[in-house]
Amino acid sequence: MGEMEALRKEADNLKDQITEARKVVQDTTLQEAVAGTALVGRVQLKTRKTLRGHLAKIYAMHWGTDTKFCVSASQDGKLIVWDTLTTNKVNAIPLKSSWVMTCAYAPSGNMVACGGLDNMCSIYNLKGKDGNVKVMRELAAHTGYLSCCRFLSDSEIITSSGDCTCVLWDIETGTEKTIFAGHLGDCMSLAVSPDFKMFISGACDFTAKLWDIREATCRQTFSGHESDINAIGFFPNGNAVITGSDDATCKLYDLRADQELVTYQDSGIMCGVTSLAPSLSGRLLLAGYDDFNVNIWDMLKAERVGVLAGHDNRVSCIGVSSDGMACCTGSWDSFLKIWN
Amino acid sequence: MEDLDLPQMKREVESLQYQLAISREKSSITVTELVKWIEGCVCDDPFLNPELMRANPWVEKGKCVIL
Repeated sequence: MGEMEALRKEADNLKDQITEARKVVQDTTLQEAVAGTALVGRVQLKTRKTLRGHLAKIYAMHWGTDTKFCVSASQDGKLIVWDTLTTNKVNAIPLKSSWVMTCAYAPSGNMVACGGLDNMCSIYNLKGKDGNVKVMRELAAHTGYLSCCRFLSDSEIITSSGDCTCVLWDIETGTEKTIFAGHLGDCMSLAVSPDFKMFISGACDFTAKLWDIREATCRQTFSGHESDINAIGFFPNGNAVITGSDDATCKLYDLRADQELVTYQDSGIMCGVTSLAPSLSGRLLLAGYDDFNVNIWDMLKAERVGVLAGHDNRVSCIGVSSDGMACCTGSWDSFLKIWN
Repeated sequence: MEDLDLPQMKREVESLQYQLAISREKSSITVTELVKWIEGCVCDDPFLNPELMRANPWVEKGKCVIL
């Protein structure tokens, strides 16, 4: 038997053992645990603000931490930082490359980042002298498009790419600190755990991976989806992972027991999930779809309890503010909406 | 898996060995605690507790003002 063949056999064997280990600890299901829980009442959120200003499809948005500001990225070649309360544009940053696919707000509020088909992650300093927003760093090393980026701090950022890897960067030096390789398809999305020790990535190999940032290892791999995973997020307490896929479903995975808990699906929904965000308590899951809507799910009972209809094109991004008071949606119709 | 070369395949096997070795807790504990955590936070969730939305910063208070 060739070495390659032997390794393949070993890999299959290990996967079977992991499946067995998961079965061993599965002594209950979420459905059983919430059999006596009442369904949450119908959730109706209204559009409170519409943020107008982008001239083309919006691909990404990200709330600032502990703030009512958010940043959005559009293929009109602009990053806009919005004061969502007044709808004023705090900053309108012109980009070198208009093919932007992601943006992020640093927890400190001092920086924003973006990237896309230029394969780079560009970091902008919002608090520069004389109020000018300039490119601070261009992080270049990925050999594929930048699909997502998230700051750990003002000095570190994690990126995911169409080259199938995720990278931890030192912003100061502009260099790669750690490369997280293992996915067999384009990495589409990433999310950082509430304690900043782990991150999760969703990819076109239909799996989600949990990575230990400092150990630089993949701790867990979650399968089950039947198509690309476009969106991923941590459950608010960091103990579970939520994924959204082109297979029209969202799934919840339990990190501690290492298993899939539930699938959020409806025979009436046949289009892909583009984005997702849990509410503050994790009881609700807000997910954006290709059919222009956002569906609100009761995460425990796995039933739809609301819809946000108002965009005239695909909802490409969604986020819930850090105090849980508002949800922001961004769409290919070029508008962002604030709902609560 | 067919697309991997030898070094990548070796890393995949190493990774799987690591992933197999992580400790797994029983669902009866983890799921119960997850449900309890959510139920404990629902009253602080503005989307589920209308009391918290009374002072909604995104809603205009009062009537129009002549500048």
